[in-house]
Amino acid sequence: MRTDTIIMGGGLSGLACGIALAKRGQRVTIVASGQSTLLFNGGSMELLGNIDGQVITSPLDAISTLPHDHPYSKIGTSRISSLASEAQGLLADAGISMEGTATTNHWRITPMGVAKPAWLTLSENIRIDELDKLPAKRVALMCIRGFFDQPNGMLAHGLRQLGFDVQMVEFTTDDITALRRSPSEMRAASIAKHLMSNNALQRVADQINKLAADADMVLLPSVLGLTDESHFKALQDMVHKPLRLIATLSPAVAGSRMQSALRHYFQMLGGNYLMGDTVVGGNLEGDKLLTVTTAKLGDMPLRANNFVLATGSFVSRGLMANYERVYEPIFDLDVDADGDREQWTRFGIMDPQAYSRYGVATDSGLHCLKHGKPIGNLYAIGSVLSGHDAIKMGDGTGVSLLTALAVAQDILSGNK
Amino acid sequence: MVTSEVYKKEFDVIIIGGGATGAGTARDCALRGLSVLLVERFDYSTGATGRNHGLMHSGARYAVTDGESASECISENMTLRRIARHCVEETDGLFITLPEDDLQYQQTFVESCQRSGIRADIISPDEARHIEPAVNPDLIGAVRVPDASIDPFRLTIANLLDARLHGAETLNYHEVEGLIINQDRVQGVKLINKTNGEHVEVRGRVIVNAAGIWGQRIVQMAGAKISMFPARGALLIFGHRVNQMVINRCRKPANADILVPDDTVCVIGTTSDRIPIETVDDMRVTREEVDVLLKEGIKLAPSLATTRVIRAYAGVRPLVASDDDPSGRSISRGIVCLDHAKRDGIEGFITITGGKMMTYRLMAEIATNAVCAKLGNNVECVTALQPLPGSEEDAPSQSDTTKRYSFGQRAAIGRHGSLAARIEKDNDIDNALVCECEGVTVGEIKYAVHQLHVHNLVNLRRRTRLGMGTCQGKLCSCRAASLLGELNHDVKRAQDDLADFLDERWKGMRPVAWGDTLREAQLTAAIYQGLCGLDSVVNRQGKEDVQ
Repeated sequence: MRTDTIIMGGGLSGLACGIALAKRGQRVTIVASGQSTLLFNGGSMELLGNIDGQVITSPLDAISTLPHDHPYSKIGTSRISSLASEAQGLLADAGISMEGTATTNHWRITPMGVAKPAWLTLSENIRIDELDKLPAKRVALMCIRGFFDQPNGMLAHGLRQLGFDVQMVEFTTDDITALRRSPSEMRAASIAKHLMSNNALQRVADQINKLAADADMVLLPSVLGLTDESHFKALQDMVHKPLRLIATLSPAVAGSRMQSALRHYFQMLGGNYLMGDTVVGGNLEGDKLLTVTTAKLGDMPLRANNFVLATGSFVSRGLMANYERVYEPIFDLDVDADGDREQWTRFGIMDPQAYSRYGVATDSGLHCLKHGKPIGNLYAIGSVLSGHDAIKMGDGTGVSLLTALAVAQDILSGNK
Repeated sequence: MVTSEVYKKEFDVIIIGGGATGAGTARDCALRGLSVLLVERFDYSTGATGRNHGLMHSGARYAVTDGESASECISENMTLRRIARHCVEETDGLFITLPEDDLQYQQTFVESCQRSGIRADIISPDEARHIEPAVNPDLIGAVRVPDASIDPFRLTIANLLDARLHGAETLNYHEVEGLIINQDRVQGVKLINKTNGEHVEVRGRVIVNAAGIWGQRIVQMAGAKISMFPARGALLIFGHRVNQMVINRCRKPANADILVPDDTVCVIGTTSDRIPIETVDDMRVTREEVDVLLKEGIKLAPSLATTRVIRAYAGVRPLVASDDDPSGRSISRGIVCLDHAKRDGIEGFITITGGKMMTYRLMAEIATNAVCAKLGNNVECVTALQPLPGSEEDAPSQSDTTKRYSFGQRAAIGRHGSLAARIEKDNDIDNALVCECEGVTVGEIKYAVHQLHVHNLVNLRRRTRLGMGTCQGKLCSCRAASLLGELNHDVKRAQDDLADFLDERWKGMRPVAWGDTLREAQLTAAIYQGLCGLDSVVNRQGKEDVQ
């Protein structure tokens, strides 16, 4: 079978790139280990939230001031705006309806009640456009009895700091209580699985209607919608007040849903998703990658015209470190990282950590480098790229989406 | 008794230091009917007590070089198996000879052990490989000895609990700023309550200095002098339990030659370096220490080369200069109990130091004897006979398969012995797991907060092992912080506490931040900073490390 592009990594960037290529008729194979950091996403995308500790309100303007080694600078700041709208459209086509614009950040509310700048947020999640114009004054914060992945006290405190008048409402239903019999079952995903039945939803709605009658808005931990937004909509129809979800600690339901929605869309477009496999090596000849080998297919190398490295950062094992060095484990590509182990980290946990900016080295077209020379048909996208700190800059999901779409465009236009 | 009442009381004895020795002395004094106050500047077992291998020496390690310490060790070893069995795991230990070592030493070693009353059986390399599959297969000799693994946090808390059950008062986060001295008699302590900054004075008839390496400063406060030699040792914790028995090198004691299985993990150590007394509070582990520990550790158990290192830490042993050596160069290895009345003409003041975590009970007995002599108390010491709370005869056993325990209950019995019965478990919320790595339930957290002097997450970790497993508190710390916030009705403090806890975990991870430990660190940052935004509500600039 002819494959146009093989993508290594099936998380946000790999899937976005695969979808963009498959939509234009390419035959694409994604090799996915099955773990994606999207599972830790509470339902928002970030383009750029902070520079040097300063909150960014207009990300497009700020992007033009970024240093040249930032992935956005490599894409070219003139392309950012159109790529951002393309990304939003792609998500919507996959069934992920998100709101927000690239010109002005809004605020997402974190599981601890902190407002953080965001680009896109799931429609059912609470979102604040301007801090002095809250979407509601009196909110009922629904706290599921025995559910510890929503730190209720901190969340309520954070919401009050933002100006909400918060009423904390503890509730449960017989069937949620039954879930708790197993001491480790009270996690967001297991509740969400349970709340896929309309009867179970109705019992939750009855509790909300009974206990939150005074509120202008009801906030429920994000324990709904493992597959799509239909359960949220069903519950909203049953509840008499406006209902919004609020992100929980990970693994988060919203993240799992976005991951599976993107994957299904990719497969619907004819994409080939090799689940639970990883690329372990490849055959490089000169400045060209000819084939790659996977752990499961062993002696059956996969051939393609173009290859995309979307294997993520250390968390996803796209980058690795032993006590001597930081390296890229598949091809031993050039990395931008300090050689001396003591430089990798900083003393305080909240300090910006040097390792956060490490990644594979690329040229201005996001081609990977080996021994200083670009490999013409091997691109890197997403968190495996160097030159940005997703934790401190709030640009992780944005870099994933935009580099994915930029590389897809370049591949389609025939290697820039 | 509420703290303000404690301040007003005059005690028979005030003990300075909440390590194993201080806690053991508090228990012994209380059991002999004295009124007791123990004060500790940080949390209990923050000093050398909580910063060692967790090894219950058989004494074999000291047999060749220090027969007296070896005899003390084996005697205390047998005692602790009886009185502290919920803190002890009877693993036994091996002393292995590697091709690069001198096999002749084995004979000297075994004879020395026998002289000190330590059982030491030579076994074949084959048998050693069979009973301890993790051992370096290249070994050329092995001796089996009654080493064991002990949880020093649990041991210290059990002593404090028993002291309290017998009327003692204990205050953590109370630092001694000075002594109340009247003519040549110490009559009490000047304290600062570190949780609110309040300065108070408490009076006592005898003051016991059990402050470990920090005891040198306490002696100075009394106007006397003692020369201590801080001996720093660094250790590494591996992410799972590679070995089932303690593995030692059969040679003269050197760097990184003991590997101890502790609960779900194992610990290699130690390095040994004399450091200046001014640096004893700097517990950062250096790159060189990590390199030595790894290089030597792999020789004991080769699979350590591919096992994740989850943490590095260091402790300082208080070695004391012999009083009979005017040059101050000769070090006393054993237990040192100084009656400052005889030594320096200062009445009402005793220093107990030197020794080992392992011999804490004997040290406590010696110190308590000295206290009793001053107070004219003739009650006999019973600490070697009476089991600690949690280790009574009828205590439930973690390995009792006739009972149906949940994972959390079984883990709690392992940690608290018979006291696990006090943990609420009747409703499903109390039974819910907060820390999945170590099986810590809501009920156990409530028990720790209400009964075990838990003020923050770091205290909670020391009482329950919460956050000590492979994930180093990645998910459980937020759940636990939130629960503490509810129990203490203080949300803001809970957030600061969470940041302190994560930072404390990070300090131990940083020296070994590569491989999966670096992955965990990045994931923790993604959750607490990226997802939750904790860094934007907590300011850690210029903050001291939490202890």
